[in-house]
Amino acid sequence: MSEPILSRNFSVPEAWKLSVAEGRGAYQTAKTVLTTMKPEDVTNAVLASNLRGLGGAGFPTGKKWQFLPKDGKKPVYLVINADEGEPGTFKDRYILERDPHQLIEGILLAAYAIGSKKAYIYIRGEYVLPYRHLQAAVDEAYARNYLGKGVFGTGIDVDLVVHRGAGAYICGEETALLNSLEGWKGYPRLKPPFPAIVGLFGCPTIINNVETIACVPHILKNGAEWFAALGSPGNGGTHLFSVSGHVEKPGVHELPMGTTLRDMIFKHAGGISGGRSLKAVIPGGISAKILTASEIDVKMDYDSLRAAGTMLGSAGVMVMDETTCIVKMLYYAAKFFAHESCGQCSPCREGTGWAFKIVKRIYRGEGAVRDLDELLKIARGMEGRTICVFADAAAWPIQSYIGKFRAEFEEYIRSKGTALARPVSPYKPQAAAPAVSTLVRSGARRLPER
Amino acid sequence: MTIKTADLKAALASLDAEAAKIVAKYDEKRAATLTLLHLGQDKIGHVTPEVEEWVARWTDQPVVRIRAVVTFYSMYHQAPVGRHHIRFCMGTPCVLRGCEKLLDHVKTKLGIENGQTTPDGRFSLEEAECLCACEGAPMMQAGDDYHLDLDDKKIDSILEKLK
Repeated sequence: MSEPILSRNFSVPEAWKLSVAEGRGAYQTAKTVLTTMKPEDVTNAVLASNLRGLGGAGFPTGKKWQFLPKDGKKPVYLVINADEGEPGTFKDRYILERDPHQLIEGILLAAYAIGSKKAYIYIRGEYVLPYRHLQAAVDEAYARNYLGKGVFGTGIDVDLVVHRGAGAYICGEETALLNSLEGWKGYPRLKPPFPAIVGLFGCPTIINNVETIACVPHILKNGAEWFAALGSPGNGGTHLFSVSGHVEKPGVHELPMGTTLRDMIFKHAGGISGGRSLKAVIPGGISAKILTASEIDVKMDYDSLRAAGTMLGSAGVMVMDETTCIVKMLYYAAKFFAHESCGQCSPCREGTGWAFKIVKRIYRGEGAVRDLDELLKIARGMEGRTICVFADAAAWPIQSYIGKFRAEFEEYIRSKGTALARPVSPYKPQAAAPAVSTLVRSGARRLPER
Repeated sequence: MTIKTADLKAALASLDAEAAKIVAKYDEKRAATLTLLHLGQDKIGHVTPEVEEWVARWTDQPVVRIRAVVTFYSMYHQAPVGRHHIRFCMGTPCVLRGCEKLLDHVKTKLGIENGQTTPDGRFSLEEAECLCACEGAPMMQAGDDYHLDLDDKKIDSILEKLK
């Protein structure tokens, strides 16, 4: 790929400041579009670009916008999901911290397209520096009348509020995010009604991911056809892939949709650290099913990865070399899901807890081979039985790690956790035991009372 | 060390002007709940019953509803924490790059376990889920700041600087 698009300002010093961003062309597209194009033309361009929701679901963005009621009397809200929390994903942090004006310009265009006068950005609470840069950028945009009443001297009003979360993975789920933004626990809502009909404060709402919205200025500047041609069929544009784990060059790699996983790891991320060999890859955040070293010729786009039995998800690519203990990886994945279940639906609240207990037993060297089938049974009991897809996401690592590495699990169990070489971090029974008392079953985490 | 209720109320009252501005930004008062809890906690150090009552008053909600919110989110502390609260990332990419050994190092150095505070009130430790800075794994957050590409020495020098 020739030139970076979304990441073009990531290494420019202080690009989060308006003067620097404007020197790099920020807001030019929004100024032109808001004064010369009709809102429906913006939506049509986004539709034609094959832009798909880059937060994980991959739903066509233009189509989502068209779900809004046509002659609604209620206000329309635009909500930006900046609650990045999917383990292995860090791309949105780069946009928020290093190039927030790119996002704000996208918000102006999206708000114009959907007829929204008020937008909220929900940013995860732990992102303090990204929040400071983003808020500073919003303040500067207000001062220059790029936000607020009558932006760019037009009759268009766009208000933007940056809202900080408070530490709950589930709030990345869009309806949980709405409840959280309304000041409540992050409980996902039953759908339908979809947020486009009944969303924030009961009004029609469009929720888009940070990176998705950051694509919009580029689509309108360079054309929908240009954007569509960058990716693979039906999957427009480039994507910010977060590559981590055992690679020489971990980081955000902007690559066209449809780049093969092999090229991503060996060409762009510098190959496996220390010249060791590849064992497995999780291609789309912790929720995505694991791929073995023999499955990496898959193209990294929504449709190809679905066909390969996994998903692109948040494009968090976690690379594991030959020294990786898959049992340990399942232990930490199961711990994560048990920790972060919001507790609203029984199959998820109980299932993630049971699964974690069993995986912990195995990891400690106290497991039995029949535990593996019990885990698969629990996973089946969680999948597709809850309000949101969290339970499904919790089931997939269990199913795929055991499904693809069953022999390793059985060997681990038979040898009571002593047979496999784990040079990265040797197994220590005491240290491996987590403080279960700090795990509150509602899904909330807190420090114990002293 | 206990702070008197009257002092807490005075401290919170000093935030009223800012609270009014925050509430005005939202379309409905209750939407300011999380933001006001952050504000109150930053001032007091943790979320006390007085903070909950203050947020309840500003957002026009029963205190029990604020309490439910406080217990749901990991960032609200219901008991005092250290001056420097450490979130040590235990996400998959950090585990892949050896965070377990480093966590042991931190625990040994500070003499505390997950969820505890040092007796001098300087540090508290929380084993965190993925903080989404995996390019710099293993990593941790000390107070507001992210520290990436950790090793024993780097951890020592970071902790040393936090008084």
